[in-house]
Amino acid sequence: MATPAGALVHGRRFAAGVAVGVAAAGLLGALALRAARDHEGLLRAERTDVVTLRALTGVVEAAGGTGDGVRKGVAAFAAQAPELAAIRVVAFEGISLEASTAAADTGDKAAPRRLDREEKDIFDRGQRIRAAVETNRQEGGARKEEIEIRPLPSGGFGFAAPVELGGNVAGLVDVVTAPVSTRLGFGPGAALAFFLVPVALMLLAWRPLGAHRHLLAAVAVAGVAAAAWLYGGAAVRTLREDRSATEAAVRERMASSGAAATAALSAAGIEAPLDPQAWDADLFRRPLAIVAPSGIDAAKSAASFELEAGVLRRIVAGLAALAVAIALFAGYGQAATLFGILRKHREAYAYVAPAMVGMSILVFVPFLYGIMLSFTDSNLYNTNQPISDIWIGLKNYSAILGDFRVVTRAQDGSWMVNFDNFYYTFFFNVVWTITNVAIGVSVGLVLALILNTKGLALRPIYRVLLIFPWAMPNYITALIWKGMFHQQFGVVNQVLQIVGFHPIAWFDRPFTSFLTALATNGWLSFPFMMVISLGALQSIPSDLYEAARVDGATKWQQFRGITLPSLRPALIPAVILSVIWTFNMFNIIYLVTGGEPGRSTEILITQSYKLAFEKYRYGYAAAYSTVIFAILLMYGWFQNRVSRGTEAA
Amino acid sequence: MIIHRLARLGRAIAVTSLLAFASAAVPALAQSPTEIVVWHAYRGEEKTAFEKVVAQYNEANAAKGVKVTTLAVPYDAFADKISAAVPRGKGPDIFIYAQDRLGGWIEAGNTVEPIDFYIDKKDKDRFIPTTVDALTYQGTLYGLPLNFKVITLIYNKKLLPTPPKTSKELVAAAKKLTDAKSGRFGLVYSYGDFYYHAALMNGFGGRVFDAQRNPVLNNPDNVKALDLLMRWLTVDGILPAEPSTALVTSLFNEGKAAMVFSGPWFLGEIAKGVDYGLAPLPTLDEAGGKPMRPWMTVEGVYVAAPSKNKDKAFAFVKYLTDTPAATVLALEGRQTPANKAVYDDAKVKADPVLEAFRKQVEVAVPMPNLPEMTMVWSPATTAMNLVTKKAATTKAALDDAQKKVAADVAGLRKH
Amino acid sequence: MTRRGNRSEEPAHLPLHLILIAVTLVTLYPIFWVFTIAFSGKQSLAIAELPADPTTWDRIRSVIPWPADVSFSNFTSVWNDQPFGLWLLNSAIVAAATTVVGVFLSCTAAYAFSRFVFPGRRAGLMSFLVSQMFPGTLMLIPLYIILVQWLGLGSTRIALVLVYAVTAIPFCVWMLKGYFDTIPKELEEAAIMDGASPATIFFRIVLPLAKPAVAVTALFSFMTGWNEFILAATFMDKENLYTAPVGLRFFVGGFSQSWGYFAAGSIIVSIPVVALFMFLQKYLVSGLTAGAVKG
Repeated sequence: MATPAGALVHGRRFAAGVAVGVAAAGLLGALALRAARDHEGLLRAERTDVVTLRALTGVVEAAGGTGDGVRKGVAAFAAQAPELAAIRVVAFEGISLEASTAAADTGDKAAPRRLDREEKDIFDRGQRIRAAVETNRQEGGARKEEIEIRPLPSGGFGFAAPVELGGNVAGLVDVVTAPVSTRLGFGPGAALAFFLVPVALMLLAWRPLGAHRHLLAAVAVAGVAAAAWLYGGAAVRTLREDRSATEAAVRERMASSGAAATAALSAAGIEAPLDPQAWDADLFRRPLAIVAPSGIDAAKSAASFELEAGVLRRIVAGLAALAVAIALFAGYGQAATLFGILRKHREAYAYVAPAMVGMSILVFVPFLYGIMLSFTDSNLYNTNQPISDIWIGLKNYSAILGDFRVVTRAQDGSWMVNFDNFYYTFFFNVVWTITNVAIGVSVGLVLALILNTKGLALRPIYRVLLIFPWAMPNYITALIWKGMFHQQFGVVNQVLQIVGFHPIAWFDRPFTSFLTALATNGWLSFPFMMVISLGALQSIPSDLYEAARVDGATKWQQFRGITLPSLRPALIPAVILSVIWTFNMFNIIYLVTGGEPGRSTEILITQSYKLAFEKYRYGYAAAYSTVIFAILLMYGWFQNRVSRGTEAA
Repeated sequence: MIIHRLARLGRAIAVTSLLAFASAAVPALAQSPTEIVVWHAYRGEEKTAFEKVVAQYNEANAAKGVKVTTLAVPYDAFADKISAAVPRGKGPDIFIYAQDRLGGWIEAGNTVEPIDFYIDKKDKDRFIPTTVDALTYQGTLYGLPLNFKVITLIYNKKLLPTPPKTSKELVAAAKKLTDAKSGRFGLVYSYGDFYYHAALMNGFGGRVFDAQRNPVLNNPDNVKALDLLMRWLTVDGILPAEPSTALVTSLFNEGKAAMVFSGPWFLGEIAKGVDYGLAPLPTLDEAGGKPMRPWMTVEGVYVAAPSKNKDKAFAFVKYLTDTPAATVLALEGRQTPANKAVYDDAKVKADPVLEAFRKQVEVAVPMPNLPEMTMVWSPATTAMNLVTKKAATTKAALDDAQKKVAADVAGLRKH
Repeated sequence: MTRRGNRSEEPAHLPLHLILIAVTLVTLYPIFWVFTIAFSGKQSLAIAELPADPTTWDRIRSVIPWPADVSFSNFTSVWNDQPFGLWLLNSAIVAAATTVVGVFLSCTAAYAFSRFVFPGRRAGLMSFLVSQMFPGTLMLIPLYIILVQWLGLGSTRIALVLVYAVTAIPFCVWMLKGYFDTIPKELEEAAIMDGASPATIFFRIVLPLAKPAVAVTALFSFMTGWNEFILAATFMDKENLYTAPVGLRFFVGGFSQSWGYFAAGSIIVSIPVVALFMFLQKYLVSGLTAGAVKG
């Protein structure tokens, strides 16, 4: 074991693993820092320009939103605000361009005039902002952004803010900024250090440590950890400096925009107070109160930065873990083993690959997306936000699984079952699945056995007639079944009355309502089971029966001893899959009972559907779906263990 | 946050480069006509009439290089297909659908184009005002109304020569014609369906959402409306149990239902030989003589937000909702247009069905187009079932429904 | 003993026929209602029609599905008023292609799972099972993004075939693997001795023996593609590419519900399925012969 050659193999593997790991981590780390600095650059542009925009909006509002005062004020403001390439003021009344400093808006096109068709998006933006302000006011919160920002192909930004007159949004100020660079730098130096430190350590340790694999591993971990610590510190420092520069830029802009606003007010001939403190605001026009003309609140600035620093630190830690994982994977020889296995069994993998690729693309990609969604608060109102903003961790799961109020007290004090509770629905779902599969399998199997009787006349005819429920679109047959259970005119109650019973209001009680869906689904599912059983019965060699007969076995003994065991390999997958399908049998519940009475016959999948498409809570619905998945996964795992012994091969 | 900005930036760049590409491609394509694609959910005579109007438009505008093509999509798949395709720029230029999904599409974004910019008051005044309200979301108009659908009173002339004008007359007439044991009823409608019940609810001044968009399912007016329904059902006994739409049709066709509350879709299901008439829903003596006010659904014609030919698309929207086209839809497609001038046409005036719905729509209330409306149906259905099966009092059932809807709305509108 | 064994070998056929007839009647009863609606010439969904004060005889009459007037008008309208034949053809193309792709891919995969021992085999099998477990309520838009936006397969039959085949594969793989397991390995070993290639063994020996299972998977794959509605309606942007289920749904969406047309269309749509089953059933019951196994 401790031969020199073997020792060198370990060292080489660890060195290579560390090199690949930190190369990947270093590259990703550099990209992460760059993205963070880009973000800071955008934030700087956003905050400074919001200051200017708010100053300008104040002037427009003071000037009454329309008329010559606005035009004079805007012109004076523009003269002192070189950062703005164009200012447009629009009044909704008459869709009128009240003022414009855009180069194109001169001569014929000078303000005031009605907006052109090409300028429809400006008006629509204004209406969107008006609706956002009204929504936030009605709901007493901040759900929709009241200042819109959009990057322009020129390299500048478009900013739009509402003009409020007497409490109503009556127009908007739409500005275009001059092209600015928001890129603050790349910083590959620190990332290179991330790469070099562990690799150098590894090269030093390689020969002396020789065959001691665990020591080599410890060196690799230590090297990566040290590099990550150094890199993380450098990256956070860089970002902090960027943030300080941003605050300074905001303060500077506050001063220049204040001067511009003062000039604009005097040009328009208006006396109005300025409130520069309120200009440093977020996109909901809520003051941030970090920068004021008098100075910068360093504590608040640091607190606002802490969140982003934390994200960056976590990213670096994650990358370090990735590098360690790669290093250990390669170092302990796992990578070599993996390649060996892939090569050795390439024929088997080639057979499986086409089906697997299709599954990965069309099933597992959406599936992973669904699981990711389940950790967010994604809903109709935030579909355009990135995942990171709506990430809520396990909250959806704790809301679903942590609610144990299966029974609640009604207003009159009696206890009643809370049909919306997850555990009730789960219980119902299990009952539903077991009963359905039991009916489907037993009816299907018995019919297959009868139809497998040798010499029985008309077998092909029976077989064809009995698959009709499967062949007919179930959208109509399910509704026919529902009609058959109608209280007054349904066939079932007619038959009950012919026989002398009272009619039953089938959909009024959870149990009878469940029976209607059970009858429908049992009817729909047994032909499939029958066909599978028919096929499976053919795998039993007839000479087995002959041998048994010679030994004097009865029919029942033959069934127990030969038929059932031989059916298992083909029947068990069918049973497992039909459990899974029945568990998620959406259509029949939806069409026949619709969950009534009182949502007592909902199953988990119909609840999940309602969460997504009636309540628009996509994240919560995805969590619900993931829970369903987990339940079925546990079932599959359990069933697989139980039936493992039956497998030939 | 980081990804947020980057995603936005990426989207904007993609859009602008696409626009640049499109504008560069325009001169090259100038020869072949601009195709305006319209998706709709029509079938049968409605589809035939609609396609006829499109053909007329294409003929008249062939010289301008515009060609409108249509695609019928099954109603059940329509909304999902729009939600999947349009925001990704793969959908049509124009689509036609009822207003109930409008709010959801607007909130999801990049689906429906606002059109206030294109039109002025005169354009809006062409339509029945409430149909325009139905397509207005938070103060912005998102489409032009094409047709509306409301329920009205449909009665069997053989059983009932003159229709009742008030709820008292209705109950009196219905009592005479009801013999529950033999399955005859004076009045049959899907009263357990909240959509149908809304006519009573709105008649009492009830509503589902208040002006601030908060759910108010259990407001006193809604309770009063449900109380009246229960009186019809239990005290007066003029209604059957479990009134599914299939049952309503069967009873009316067999002459076992003298009166039905239903909409234009019901007329196609009436058997030959049944002599029926239409009349406005009665006024409610219990609500101080105010009329019953059914919910109205409006088929809006929307321009898709990612469309590259919005101006040309809107030109067709205007043509389609204008009087000549809408008259064709009314007379040949048997639709009820939202355009007021259609009803001045002599042929339309002579048509008792169109006239009856025109009269009924005067008091109709647009069904809410808020996305939150989808949260109402399930709890409301549960409440209606509990009450009509006498398993709960009207107030308790509505309180419970209100609690559920309020919780769902709050769950969605988190800040 | 021998006599008793002989008697039980051939159970009396009459009771079996009685059971089968009873079951068949119950099974077909709702189907009869579909036929009744289809041939009624009307559009309403079946509701028993009862006269005033129904007698028992009236009740019995009301539960027997038979239209008051027999009319073919629903069938002619369905067939003539829309390109239903074309839609049926589209369905046939899509479902047939789904069957070919699905059966081929699952045969190869199932064969590997049954005959080779390789790392990841159990996990691979499980992953096919797992793919059926995630409920598809939120899948429409992700699938649209992958197939239409990324792969550019909007308005192509390929998109539908891919989706349907992938939907059908997990069941087919499990079904076939279970069946392959029951085929004795000795047969293949003998062939290897004779110098046969793996492909020869698979196509000449294994596949013919697995006919019943292949027939089941073929029927299953076909049905997966044949009756699907929402994906077909969402991915196809041309009316001449719609499949029959999409065409059917036009009749019953929204306010107007033409159940007569829908029922007639449903019957038309089921005919090819029944025909396919009639064709497949001879394979379905052609099992291993005694001689082939323990030769």
